[in-house]
Amino acid sequence: MKFKSSYLAVAILSAVVIAFPAFLGAYPLNVARSIMTYMALAISWDMLLRSGQISFGIAGLFGLGSYASALAVLRGGMDPFVSMIFAALLAGLVAFALGFAILRLRGMYFSITTLALMEIFRIIMQNLHDFSGGPEGVVIPAVIFNGSSTALYWLCLAGLFITIGVSWYFEKSKMHLALTAIRNDETSARSSGVDIFRYLLFAFVITSMLQGMMGAIQIQSYGFTTPDTAFDANFTLLPLAMALLGGIHSTMGPMAGAVLLGIASEWLKLKIPYGHLVVYGIIIIVVILFMPQGLVGLARRLMRGSDTKGRKAGATHE
Amino acid sequence: MSKLVTTGLTKAFSGLVAVNNVSFAMEEGEILGIIGPNGAGKTTFIHLVSGILMPTSGRIEFKGKDITYAPAHVRSRLGIARTYQLIHPLENLKVIENVMIGSVFSRDKSLKEARLSAEAICAELGLERLGRDTTQLSILEIKKMEIARALANEPEVLFLDEVMAGLNSDETRQIIATVQRIARERHMAVGVVEHVMGVIRELTQRVIVLEAGELIAEGPYETVSKNPRVIEAYLGGAA
Repeated sequence: MKFKSSYLAVAILSAVVIAFPAFLGAYPLNVARSIMTYMALAISWDMLLRSGQISFGIAGLFGLGSYASALAVLRGGMDPFVSMIFAALLAGLVAFALGFAILRLRGMYFSITTLALMEIFRIIMQNLHDFSGGPEGVVIPAVIFNGSSTALYWLCLAGLFITIGVSWYFEKSKMHLALTAIRNDETSARSSGVDIFRYLLFAFVITSMLQGMMGAIQIQSYGFTTPDTAFDANFTLLPLAMALLGGIHSTMGPMAGAVLLGIASEWLKLKIPYGHLVVYGIIIIVVILFMPQGLVGLARRLMRGSDTKGRKAGATHE
Repeated sequence: MSKLVTTGLTKAFSGLVAVNNVSFAMEEGEILGIIGPNGAGKTTFIHLVSGILMPTSGRIEFKGKDITYAPAHVRSRLGIARTYQLIHPLENLKVIENVMIGSVFSRDKSLKEARLSAEAICAELGLERLGRDTTQLSILEIKKMEIARALANEPEVLFLDEVMAGLNSDETRQIIATVQRIARERHMAVGVVEHVMGVIRELTQRVIVLEAGELIAEGPYETVSKNPRVIEAYLGGAA
């Protein structure tokens, strides 16, 4: 019963979100696109985090996807839609190759290496003057859908839906067991037959593909990018802050965090230009100190306090 | 054919030789005791056989197949399972998921099949309320959960590293009975590391004795316990 009503809630929510352009103007749709982009990045970051690996490379793969898509259209004459798939595949391929080296690393060493890689991608794009346009960036011949804000919104929403779908699969399939086991205790995981490297590589490739795809959607929607915008550190930091605020190790957490921080930042940008980053910093500190499980964790704890039923496995004994 | 054979198995940690030239075989259906004083290399030996550590030299065969340098997850899939002396619960997974994981990854079962077989194994071990978090379990329940997880691998060779430690005598008796029954029903070879000699006497048909990494005696407990070298190893020169 509970099962069915939650499906119904998801269906209704999806319908409302799909129908947004019917009652929102161009500016709110633009804000929504920005929030959805960050949301998809936050979810993809969290998906790898479920294995315990903290990546600081989101912006790197996002920017890589942007450039792959832009240059495929500009230099290769590729169809814009095909270029998005191409960008996702290329990001996945790069992650696959890099994974063999960096997924042997753990903890801080992995994080710092991904941060460095992001910087390397940016420097490469900045210096390939003839190919990538160097520091001035690239401009593609035309924005997709002739820049229709409704169509661009749906395109971004499609990218977000794909990300949520993959994340949901990660939560409901044996990926959940594999990644959680790796995060909790690698020795136990190995003894239970989990091929740790294979699952980490899979998660890293898939999340990189999603980040590359969102980057491609971004460039095709705006029509131009530069190394500094495509590889902007905010594409790493904001998703991270959103996931932490909402609650890590779930799909819901990063989504809730992205909505809250996304809307808050739009408002703050108007009230205190550039000061919104200070507020982000304060939010992150407060969340880490006082509610490490994030908002979703807090809500779950409050609900568990008033209602101890509704746990699936073993519920009959409780 | 023997299930598991080691030949000249050696592990050195820089200067210290933790396991030194150990050759032995485990047969189907037997419960083998692995005993020796603290620091004798019993746990290191199990680490080597289960692939958590790689040997310095020597050879390990599982049903005639060379697995000396096979990674742990490959050995788990082949049919070698173990528990740990220091408990390793996966605290962000429910009890049932902790048990399921073995059959999902070692036996390629679907989540649904794995859940059913995990429930059956837990019922056999008397482990209940499987929707709990592992933090809510007593020490006996955690030990049972770890045995259940190892059994979910459907192993042919199972090592239990001090699962009885910290349990009272009733609980110990309960685990002994279960291990005996399961070993018999599933034709497993079981290796048991234990410090309580009563348990070893009751449970095992044969024991090997390690001291300072070397295998110093082998045979039924009654014989081995009278072996002067073994007595000396346990009690020191005074005996």
